[in-house]
Amino acid sequence: MAESAPKPKPPSELFGPDPLADLPTGDYRRSRVRRRRTTGTARISLNLTAMIDVVFLLLIYFMAGTSFKLGEEIYRMDLPERGPSNAQRDPFELDDEPLRIRIASVGQRGRSYRIRVEGPYQQPDTFEELLTFLRERQIGPFTTRGLFEADHPIIIEPTRTARWEHAMGAFNAAARARYTNITFARPGG
Amino acid sequence: MSAVFKRGSARIQANLTPMIDVTFLLIVFFVLVSQIVEVENVKLQLPAPEDPATELPDDEQRVVINVVPAQPATTGRAIEYRVGSRRFAAGEEGVDALADHVMRLYSGNPTLRINLRADRDTQYEWIEPVLRAISIAAARTGESGITARVNLVVVKED
Repeated sequence: MAESAPKPKPPSELFGPDPLADLPTGDYRRSRVRRRRTTGTARISLNLTAMIDVVFLLLIYFMAGTSFKLGEEIYRMDLPERGPSNAQRDPFELDDEPLRIRIASVGQRGRSYRIRVEGPYQQPDTFEELLTFLRERQIGPFTTRGLFEADHPIIIEPTRTARWEHAMGAFNAAARARYTNITFARPGG
Repeated sequence: MSAVFKRGSARIQANLTPMIDVTFLLIVFFVLVSQIVEVENVKLQLPAPEDPATELPDDEQRVVINVVPAQPATTGRAIEYRVGSRRFAAGEEGVDALADHVMRLYSGNPTLRINLRADRDTQYEWIEPVLRAISIAAARTGESGITARVNLVVVKED
């Protein structure tokens, strides 16, 4: 005859004494159990105050430390070589006579400028006219009546007292006309 | 007694989530647009030619020479040339020292480009010595492949 299955132990033996056993039975006991169920798990919340403090400090730091500046850009210019490198040039090579553009700052505090292109040309008065002058005289794919190749040397000759802004204005006119061999000379009178 | 009085006074709480979102966005914005102040750049009123045919500087190796104007800048004079934290007086001795310094830089890196920054009011007689010093420095290195490459820095105004 088969042995009968072992009788299960009562909960009091398995889990210890009932914690509610000493409480009075009835409505009070039921209401306490119900409240525990309805309350659910405890709410876990982060204290964000410290983080917000740090975040605001960072914000103030970056706002105070940021300066919005206009974009700086560059013109590329290769200065003429000096010294021994000139001795290696082909002695039979003909030099292109550079086009010299003189620029002077005139007027009160040098706010105005005067342009002088060396040669028998009608003189430009403004940088825009200088741009037109240079464009019209460049040999290009659409103009065969020009005088200068795009790599023809152009030398900007500011006077000693010429403001850098005006020197760069003349340089810019030549660069806008797509000349590629532009440089500055020693200051003239 | 009503339920309101049973629970006590109501706690008033602000919802901080949108504020933190916006604050973080602002921080990200300022981090992205702010540039660490470059010691090598002196505050100058750079020339601003009309419709400039310029280009943006790329990531090539370069050193910046600043022509520092006397104050007020409208006098057109320069007081010194500054390369990083090194200063050279505006004058023949300073220009010679500048040429030596640039020559040492060239010997370390023959393909170096030099950014020239000068105030728009500075007169050319104070800027030409810098160009001359750069040219002399390139010649003094004795290497035939070195060309004095200069970037003339301007500001692009819309």
